[in-house]
Amino acid sequence: MKRNIVLALGSVAIIALLMSAPGCRKIKIEESTTGDVNIVGYLDKNLDSFSLFRQILERTGNAAFLNAYGAYTCFAPTNSGVKTYLAGLGAASVDAADLNTLKDMVRLHLLSDTVYTNSFTDGKLPVITMYGQYLVTSVTNKNGVSSYLINRQGTVLRSNVRVGNGIIHVIDNVLKPAVKTIAQQLEENPDYSIFVQALKETGFYTKLNTVDSDTSKRWMTVFAESNRALADSGFVTYAALKAKYSKTSSPTNANDSLHIYVAYHISQGLKFLGDIISTPTHETLQPQEVVSIKLIDQQVLLNQDEFNGVLEKGVVLNRDKSDIAATNGVWHDAAAHFMVKFRKPTALYWDVSSFDEIKKLPAYYKKANYTFSRATEADQPIKDHYWGWGPLASTNFLQYTYSAASSITNYAYNADINMVPLGLPNRPPWWEMRTPPIVKGKYKVWVCYRQQKQSSSSNMLCQVSVNGTIMQRTMNFTDTRPAGTDSELEAIGWKRYTENTSSLWAARQVGVIEFTTTKQQIIRITALSGTQNNNNLDMIHFIPIDQDQVLPRFRPDGTMIYQ
Amino acid sequence: MKQITFLTYFLLVLFAVSFSSCKKWLELKPQDGIVKEEFWKTKEQVKASVIGIYSSMMEYSSGSYGNPTNYVPSMAELFFVWGEGRADHVASATASSADDIALINANIQPTNVNANWRPFYRTINFCNTVIEKAPEVLANDNTFTQQQLDNYLSEALTIRALMYFYLARTFGDVPLKLDATLSDENITPIPKTPQAEIFAQIVKDLTAAEAKAVTSYGDVASDKGRVTVYTINAILADVYLWMEKYTESVAACDKIINSGKFGLIRGATQNGPAIEYNDAWFNTLYYNGNSNEGIFELQFSQQRLNPFFLIFSPATSARRWIAAADLMERVFTVDYTNDQNYDIRGDGGSVRAATSTVWKYVGASSTGAIRPLDQSYAHWFFYRYADVLLMKAEALNELGRGQEALDIIYSVRARANALAATDLTPAPTDKNLIQDFILEERAREFCFEGKRWYDVLRNAKRNKYERLGILLSMVSISVPSSMQQSAQAKFKDQNSHYLPIYLYEMQTNKQLVQNPFYK
Repeated sequence: MKRNIVLALGSVAIIALLMSAPGCRKIKIEESTTGDVNIVGYLDKNLDSFSLFRQILERTGNAAFLNAYGAYTCFAPTNSGVKTYLAGLGAASVDAADLNTLKDMVRLHLLSDTVYTNSFTDGKLPVITMYGQYLVTSVTNKNGVSSYLINRQGTVLRSNVRVGNGIIHVIDNVLKPAVKTIAQQLEENPDYSIFVQALKETGFYTKLNTVDSDTSKRWMTVFAESNRALADSGFVTYAALKAKYSKTSSPTNANDSLHIYVAYHISQGLKFLGDIISTPTHETLQPQEVVSIKLIDQQVLLNQDEFNGVLEKGVVLNRDKSDIAATNGVWHDAAAHFMVKFRKPTALYWDVSSFDEIKKLPAYYKKANYTFSRATEADQPIKDHYWGWGPLASTNFLQYTYSAASSITNYAYNADINMVPLGLPNRPPWWEMRTPPIVKGKYKVWVCYRQQKQSSSSNMLCQVSVNGTIMQRTMNFTDTRPAGTDSELEAIGWKRYTENTSSLWAARQVGVIEFTTTKQQIIRITALSGTQNNNNLDMIHFIPIDQDQVLPRFRPDGTMIYQ
Repeated sequence: MKQITFLTYFLLVLFAVSFSSCKKWLELKPQDGIVKEEFWKTKEQVKASVIGIYSSMMEYSSGSYGNPTNYVPSMAELFFVWGEGRADHVASATASSADDIALINANIQPTNVNANWRPFYRTINFCNTVIEKAPEVLANDNTFTQQQLDNYLSEALTIRALMYFYLARTFGDVPLKLDATLSDENITPIPKTPQAEIFAQIVKDLTAAEAKAVTSYGDVASDKGRVTVYTINAILADVYLWMEKYTESVAACDKIINSGKFGLIRGATQNGPAIEYNDAWFNTLYYNGNSNEGIFELQFSQQRLNPFFLIFSPATSARRWIAAADLMERVFTVDYTNDQNYDIRGDGGSVRAATSTVWKYVGASSTGAIRPLDQSYAHWFFYRYADVLLMKAEALNELGRGQEALDIIYSVRARANALAATDLTPAPTDKNLIQDFILEERAREFCFEGKRWYDVLRNAKRNKYERLGILLSMVSISVPSSMQQSAQAKFKDQNSHYLPIYLYEMQTNKQLVQNPFYK
């Protein structure tokens, strides 16, 4: 019992000791989960810079939602920027300005996503503003200091300020939305009077003057030619241009060349230069006609292409007069006159085994075998040759095979072939190649190979598709060429494409394809049944249907036989 | 009841124990380590500390690669990333982190882990500790001579200068800390020191070190892996080049050249129309390291593997950095007509062209396979004799001695069989073209050796940024085409040539002011 008393006294003493320490002080409980401010909170904290923008948010009713949960990007203009803006509107204070103008202005400064400066490019931001126009970014250098420039209007003073509901970029000027259409902007500029007249007479002016409510159709990109560019090509007046192209007396007719000329200068979609150069070709409003784009050093070049080894000079887009945004798109200035090129379909005798990657290896190209292996599915060692990932990893290779002595390659064109294992369950299911540019038109497609069977029972039946269209005939890498004269063979879809007459050298006509666009085409060989390694592809011929399909033939030294 | 008995016994025992002496209990010395009061007593301890400086430069990264919040790159990785990441020899690969890609895209933010200078200041503190504490040993250890002390001090001073040289070239103005941080009490926030003052300190330290340094330690590994008079002069030559003091730079180079201790490893020799290649060149110079050409190399070994296997890994899906796609054609060029005519520094030397692999650090031979992981001990090359020669050429050219410069360049070119297509054939009086020629030759000679960015920046900034164009045309190649114009405009701002101070440093040291470009 005594012990209990001692214990009780002891505990009283201990509790007293414990309680005496905190005393009566009030415990402060942190109730919020974070001390971070939201967008409006940040502005409130820095009122000396943002009081006017803060007022505008209040007046336009945006303050509440910008202070709530979300993920926004806000371009916050400083007071001096807003003052300049208000002065431009002729308003003495925020309250005096037109409410709807302010609402539009605020929406142009807000994105419903967080966009950090590391996604700024030479083109538009990846996310559209709440106003419905894209902002375009660039970098400007003033007195040796470089800063981001938004919409060519506001310089970023402080970037990537992270707040609770998004990020803020502080800018020194208010961003103003484009108010005019492409057509209006061009018309305003006397330097483009001939081009504008062509727009008007062909009926494209109306199209370029409307802002489609459907945003998927709204945006257009125009490559405008200045009077200067046209004059350089001999068109001093509109009449001269019309006289050259308009042959149907009605430029609104889609078949009239003037109509084609204008349609070829317009592309659907909003493409600033930074966006243009990321894709090699862009479709134009002229059906099936594309403009190709190349970036050489710093020049953006239109239609600089190589056809059958001949380089065709392109047209430069003037950077300083390009990237001009309008309500319904953007326009660029082409430094010279250009027009759709009407090319006659020309045969392509494509030696598949002369691709850039092997040519870079002079110790192997036309000297020895070289194996391009793909260690993982993500690898793409050769730009224009690709194949479906074979489940057995070791089968994922393309062997460049060269030998003047080996019977596999001794009669091949340039004595080299490409070999890729094909066929499930283990080997790659398909083999895809991108051809050099082929002029639009109708072609017969010939697959030229050296027959080989990996084992006596091997079979390698394949289907060929061009640009996704399945060809009419199949082909088989294990089939030899049947016997017969050239014309007999051609009638059943075979030909001898080598100088050597052995039936091992076979060319199979897999079908006819019509290319609607002049560009690099995609051809794919898909394994249907059987599987083996030794698929020795030497050439692929694309020959216009009205041309000789059998000749020329090809020699291992790289020359051709025309008769 | 039983419990209470137990409690009683326990209290009794406690009471009994309380009589023991209190001294040991209150002593706070760690039982598994040595405190500084007990260290710094013998010369062996000084040596251990000095060697520790070198090992600290071979520390591994911490955290996991790609994690922006915990990854701290290793120093060797930063040598590479700082020297190559923003230049035009490398490209991002499948496994590159967002931070590495941002570096290539000229989109660097203060949160970028590559701006973390922690490994450098760590090594600087080791140097400072030796410089501050080693002299105390003289009093404690009678066998420790002034001469030995001086030798050790020269090593610490030189490495500290080298660290600051990297920091000043990479960040511009950085905090200059010259005293040791021995305990938490020493931690005081310090502001940045202007770049020019850092350079003055570097020169001061190196000059002091030169007087104290040895010419040889008696074994090859130490001669190439520790600081000698030649290491100091190589760094000095580089520092003077950067400071545009060309006479001093030539003098420093000459001290190395005239020593007669170094030479170029034979690569290719023209023998009539045929070219004879020395197959052992790659093996001697890069695979084994410590060759006659080496001046200062970071001594990775089988016990201390380098971090490069993971960075340039053979598994293409795991690589962080690869060679730029057009490196061979643009930098080394290819003779398409004669495959026996090639630059040994190109395919199989610096790069494996077929797979775009950075070959110098992971290749087992110029033609053979990749090193296995346990053989990944290629050294990091701070300075080679070829570097000294080309630095001298650069200085000579600035001094108007173009012909002497050209003679040197051609001797370096001949060793490697540089192809005729890369010969700019400048007139001895054409200073600018010789500058370009040297810059291009350095690109070939030191491909992936962490020098390209500094070379380009040094040439661009010469005479108050007289040749900014070199930097601008380089960036137009190295960044993706959709950002080319922005990147060029950024690089017109001189502050953009220096990395931002890492956000963590900004938060912990309120004295630091961020580089104004990263606003």
